Amino acid sequence: MSQNRREQLRKAEQAKANQQRLTRIIGVGAGLLVVVIVAVFAVVLISGANKAATTTPAADQVTPPHALADNLGIRPYPNATPQAGAPVVDLFFDYQCPICNQFESIYGAALEKLASSGQIDLHYRPMIFLDVNLQNDSSLRAGIAAACADTVDKYREYHDQVFANQPEQEGAGYADPLLRDTIPTKLGLTGDALAGFQKCYDGKSTHNWVQAQEDAGAKAGVTGTPTFRVNGHDVDIKEFANVAPEQLDTLIKKFS
Amino acid sequence: MTLVARLILGVTLIVAGALKVTSIDAAINSVRAYKLLPFEITALVGTALPIVEIVIGLMLVTGTFTRLAAVLGSGLMLAFIIGISSVWVRGISIDCGCFAPGGAVDASQTQYPLEVARDLGLLILGAWTVWRPASPFALDAWLFAGAEPTITDADQENPR
Repeated sequence: MSQNRREQLRKAEQAKANQQRLTRIIGVGAGLLVVVIVAVFAVVLISGANKAATTTPAADQVTPPHALADNLGIRPYPNATPQAGAPVVDLFFDYQCPICNQFESIYGAALEKLASSGQIDLHYRPMIFLDVNLQNDSSLRAGIAAACADTVDKYREYHDQVFANQPEQEGAGYADPLLRDTIPTKLGLTGDALAGFQKCYDGKSTHNWVQAQEDAGAKAGVTGTPTFRVNGHDVDIKEFANVAPEQLDTLIKKFS
Repeated sequence: MTLVARLILGVTLIVAGALKVTSIDAAINSVRAYKLLPFEITALVGTALPIVEIVIGLMLVTGTFTRLAAVLGSGLMLAFIIGISSVWVRGISIDCGCFAPGGAVDASQTQYPLEVARDLGLLILGAWTVWRPASPFALDAWLFAGAEPTITDADQENPR
């Protein structure tokens, strides 16, 4: 075999090897891309399906009577009329958040006083993102229940009872009988009012409203609870370190 | 050395991705807790991040397109370092959400120095792999076999 012929053979083999190599690279690369695309679709579909399973869309949705427009929460003291120029105070909370509970027990009465006398325009804004972190649906169900209580004029009282019954262990959640029977009975609901509340709770009639509050809160940049917002400015929880309940109005004025 | 580097970085990414991919909503909340990205894209980032982590991790562990995977992996680490440093500087108290659902935590529970140090270490491993991507037990050896002019010793499929 001549030197020339051998050289030609070698070149042909080299070309063939290069071709195979290119095919392998393209094949594996394309395979990886397909895997990524399939994985993205699978994850999106599965998480969507999970969401649909835990939150059965309920019929005849209602908005709590004292809810604010544009999903800006609810007025816990609907009978009070805020004075002209009273600062808007938003309190974002999650029923499963222990610090929200502490915050409420320390400043709840002071907030009530300021809101009832019209010195502040107090908006309660329920959030439910702890459901995701704690892998349950207690924040959602408690939110639905509290909103249902507003249909029988017991929002504020119900709200307090939820926090009063918050489990010691974060994540233990709220049992249905507690939210559906125990708390309303304790609040003195009977007859039509109790039946109306329970129908609302069983039918998850305020589900969409609660979910909308969560979405609005997330969109408003709330990533943790409690978030205390005065006229749109977040008051860091650290600010409350040395603030006694009776000094709360001074703190609010400082930020308004 | 490269083998060790890509295995550590790869396995870490796979674990981090796998722990988050099962709870996409939590991953999205973790991204939001950084208050860094516009709200509209946080859902996209939160969904894509765990998947991207797993894929890059698998590429590193198997040694597939090692250099590319190492570039992407290092880029992720750099992004994480920037993200954590930024919440640190801004005084936001969160869990980084690296391996579990993150979000707001008490200021006393933040672990920023540890988190940054860990990601810095992983970044160095990634950078090393970018610099010297060749290592044993890599699919790249088969994938890129047959490159000229080493056909005689490298390409076992076409022995002469």
